[in-house]
Amino acid sequence: MFDYLTFGLLAQLFINGILFGTMYGLAAIGLSLIFGTMRIIFLSQGAVIILMAYCCYWLFTLFKIDPYLSIPIIGLAAMVLGAGIYQGLFRRAVKMEDKNITLLIAVGLMFLIENLMAVMWTPNPRSISTGYTSSSIPVGGLAISFTRLMGFVMAMLSTAGVTLFLKRTLVGKAVRAASEDIEAARLVGISPHWVNTIAFAIGIGLCGIAGIALSTTYPFDPYFGFIFSLKAMIALALGGLGSVFGALLGGIILGTLESWSSFFISGGWADAVSYGVFLLVLLFKPEGLLVRSVKKV
Amino acid sequence: MENRLLEIKDLHVSYGSVCALWGVSLHVPEGSIVALVGANGAGKSTLLKTIAGMNRPKNGSILFSGKHITGLTPEAVVNAGIAMVPEGRKLFARLTVKENLELGGYIPRARPFIQKSLEQAYELFPLLKTKSNQIAGSMSGGEQQMLAIARSMMSRPTILMLDEPSLGLSPLVVKMMFELVEELNRKGMTILLVEQNIYQALKISHYAYVIKTGKIVLEGKGEQLLSDPEVQNAYLGTME
Repeated sequence: MFDYLTFGLLAQLFINGILFGTMYGLAAIGLSLIFGTMRIIFLSQGAVIILMAYCCYWLFTLFKIDPYLSIPIIGLAAMVLGAGIYQGLFRRAVKMEDKNITLLIAVGLMFLIENLMAVMWTPNPRSISTGYTSSSIPVGGLAISFTRLMGFVMAMLSTAGVTLFLKRTLVGKAVRAASEDIEAARLVGISPHWVNTIAFAIGIGLCGIAGIALSTTYPFDPYFGFIFSLKAMIALALGGLGSVFGALLGGIILGTLESWSSFFISGGWADAVSYGVFLLVLLFKPEGLLVRSVKKV
Repeated sequence: MENRLLEIKDLHVSYGSVCALWGVSLHVPEGSIVALVGANGAGKSTLLKTIAGMNRPKNGSILFSGKHITGLTPEAVVNAGIAMVPEGRKLFARLTVKENLELGGYIPRARPFIQKSLEQAYELFPLLKTKSNQIAGSMSGGEQQMLAIARSMMSRPTILMLDEPSLGLSPLVVKMMFELVEELNRKGMTILLVEQNIYQALKISHYAYVIKTGKIVLEGKGEQLLSDPEVQNAYLGTME
């Protein structure tokens, strides 16, 4: 009896970790694309996710649009926003030698979005409550929350979509080529601005998906985003730059780690464990756990 | 007068306060192989990069088919018909051979012909066809150089600029590389070749320029320069 409980508990924690980790993973994919093509550490990623969560919340409370029906609206709006962020804020800065400038713009944007959200929606935590929020699906004696499962499915589908785009389309291949060597990419005629705009559109588009997944599963407040950005960076360090599925897997590993450590040690230790793992990875396998090193030509 | 496909007039280029080219003038007639030779740091690569749009000239002009292309972006230069195989090949090492080739045909002018260009590239380099799904970075140096040339041909250029194609290759492969350059030329490609392998470059080129510390110091027909005592002393002393 006791054995079954422990196993069931472990499995439940594991599943919760995976489901939450996919959100880190989505954010990490966006960070990886943006860093890959432009060497920008886009710290405002988390704040944008929260902003998207608020948009979803707003569509739900004001217009009664179901969160899952708002996926196309928010996804598209987020992509347009991403293209706008690049064209408006980073187009000039990305050409400069000093990469601190782009980092400062990203931090400034983060504060702007956070405080804008605090003014518009107050700093009180919000959450979306629908008829199915508390429903769960029983699988082999375990209860899997419906909204988290949906979040997981959304993350998997969008990751697959991004992967297909990068592998199968000429523009996607151009994005990969540009993240490898921007000078060589320009010599074959790839315009850096076009590739950067696409990387931002996809990165912020994924923020939209992550925002919807977050708003349906957890309460959120305007200042939750920064931690989210940091976690996405840890996920990226685990998965390794340059691999879309690696980033997602990194997020899942991090989510699982957090859910186990917050249960077995204590909630306060979850962050300490994830930053500890971050340091260990940077010390011993800085190219990422899941990356085979490829020699540069 | 011969048809000047590419003409460079009084080009000055500097990196910050360091002057790399001091009023270089040269021209490449259509259908010929023109070599630009000289020692390390003479400004050969700087000149090619400037033509390709990677450097902005301080002064002077670059004309391609009679039109000014000075100061265009690299993307616009490729689209105009000037392809460059950069020094060190600069392949997309983590992409496959086929993906590298496809991206060679990325520019709007060449994109409708990607499939056709791909077949032509495979015809010219059957080896690349058998390795089309291999990761570019895992190939040998000679194969990589082949891929780099094939990739630049995908943009259907009117002139091909090669920056040190023999660099880091074994003597046998170097010989093959120069034969390939001649073959491309026989098929009608105009070629601007930058080389440190001066003997080979002069042997295959129709016309050649010798560049020294940012200035053209000598020019003439390939064989003529080969027999020039000054060239022999300064550059070929160890080779003959």
